[in-house]
Amino acid sequence: MMRFVIRRVAVSVLMLWLASVVIFVTLRVIPGDPIAARGTLPGFTAEQMAQLRHELGLDRSILAQYLDWMSGVLRGDFGQSFFSDFSTTELIATRIVPSVELALMATLVGLLIAVPAAVAIALRPHSWLDRVLSSGAAGGMAVPPFWLGILLVAFLSIELGWFPTRGYVPFVEDPLENLRFVALPAVTMGVVVAAPVLRFLRAALLDVTRSDFVRTAEGKGLLWHEAVVRHALPNALMPTLTFVGMVVGSMLGGIVVIEYVFGWPGLGALAVDSVGKRDYAVLQGVVLLAAAAFVLTSLVVDLLSVVIDPRLRDQMST
Amino acid sequence: MSVAVPPANADVAVEPPAERERFQSLRRLLRQPAAAVALTVLALLVLLVVLAPLVGRYDPTEVAPRDQLQGPSAMHWFGTDELGRDLYSRIVWGGRLALGIAVAATAIAMLLGTLWGGIAAMRGGLVDEILMRIVDGIMSIPIILTALILVAAFGASVTSLALILGLLHVPVTARMVRSAILVERHTEYCVAATAAGASWWRLLRREILPNTTPTLLVQASLNAASIILTEAALSFVGLGIQPPDATWGTLLQQGYAKIYTAYWFVIFPGLFIFITIWALNVLADQLQVVLDPREAHR
Repeated sequence: MMRFVIRRVAVSVLMLWLASVVIFVTLRVIPGDPIAARGTLPGFTAEQMAQLRHELGLDRSILAQYLDWMSGVLRGDFGQSFFSDFSTTELIATRIVPSVELALMATLVGLLIAVPAAVAIALRPHSWLDRVLSSGAAGGMAVPPFWLGILLVAFLSIELGWFPTRGYVPFVEDPLENLRFVALPAVTMGVVVAAPVLRFLRAALLDVTRSDFVRTAEGKGLLWHEAVVRHALPNALMPTLTFVGMVVGSMLGGIVVIEYVFGWPGLGALAVDSVGKRDYAVLQGVVLLAAAAFVLTSLVVDLLSVVIDPRLRDQMST
Repeated sequence: MSVAVPPANADVAVEPPAERERFQSLRRLLRQPAAAVALTVLALLVLLVVLAPLVGRYDPTEVAPRDQLQGPSAMHWFGTDELGRDLYSRIVWGGRLALGIAVAATAIAMLLGTLWGGIAAMRGGLVDEILMRIVDGIMSIPIILTALILVAAFGASVTSLALILGLLHVPVTARMVRSAILVERHTEYCVAATAAGASWWRLLRREILPNTTPTLLVQASLNAASIILTEAALSFVGLGIQPPDATWGTLLQQGYAKIYTAYWFVIFPGLFIFITIWALNVLADQLQVVLDPREAHR
């Protein structure tokens, strides 16, 4: 068990390190550096540009720059932004809370849709309800999240005026307002999470409800819905957990565009900003964090599975 | 140490699955109603964009200031944009770009991904380890972020978008192809071919890949869907196809800017992205059902 945990953590660290190399090399190899982007402004001589490049350390070898960056990151210092007076660490710190809130709320909404829906299907498989919900899931997997977000804004915010169209209020300032602002982006991303999870959980539940122990439970006098909820659901949730981890991990990318739609001041919006300015220092920090979130999600899910499922634990020890 | 000797009659005992069987699975696919609908939708979309000059109705760039932001009507099926351009025509021509990019990028992803995954699976050992760890590293970064960076650096022409989106879908393709090949590799006919002296490259090209074609088709379908979504997202945040050219994503962005005055503007471009991705997803699903008949009974 301990050996499994150590090996799994080591794999995560390795993945993250590889990601950091990919990010860094990509950002240094691509054409157009921030100084050149600035050099188009009048009044900058070649010497001044060289001087600036030197100050930012851009004239050193890639390896030296990478080691410098990495040693900073490990101490929690993401370096200086090329453009803003704030350090990358400060910029990220102000943006990370809204992003994490949105990701958590979206996951919550997604599960609150997917789990009850899958249970409802398992109670009466292949009924009209099953057909409606399954088609809904297929639709949810195909809908472009940003389009769904725009439609929600058009109808719920502009037509009906129930929610604000865009913006953000910190939770500590006004919890209720914060929830009103997070509602639409969270529902949008929640649908993106719910659709694949519903499909997966439905298949897992239908599989489990056919197994002997569920039939035994029913034979012993449990009502069908009791057998499904108490006996089948926990067993179907196990494999689904890993799947949810994958879905949430891939949702992190989608959040970038959703933050743009809703004017949400998170890391995704910061990334889009920095791309336009070629602010490598900020970009590499944000992208590394995204990769870290992805790696961490799958790590947590894998470890959780082992903790919850005794069968996996036995496999580990043999 | 003993060496495993293949039975003398190995070449008689095993034969690769017959050619006919592959077409059978395609015929079975067409018998699924959902697959038939999806294929029809895709065929109609392709026809629409290929025949754009004939069915476009209006010049997509023709400005008509007096007709700006009109709702849907018999004259302008999907309404007009802020410059009075016909939205239906712009969507048809935008689809030409969006689907063109998707086809090119999918081809690149499949070609390089199959090569990458194929080499990893066939060579095994250290080569496999290195190639697949690189895949892990790249795949832990959300595609949209890498795409944003590369598009900003290399420009947002149709060619560079197709190249970038294609390359970004190589890792996921490589991972899938590798596992499909590993399944096939240990079947008897592959062992037999190796025993008969086939090199790994020949084995991959002549025996294994033809037999994994359906799996490759599933992945191609999923890749195309993901590429269309990513391209639309890039164009939507203003880093993809630039005006006056427009893909569905660009149109959606322009519509979003006019959301208070022209609600229909955002509906139609998004609807086309939605339908295309839906059809590609359903196609991939149904292909899987046909490949694995156990799925059909769920």
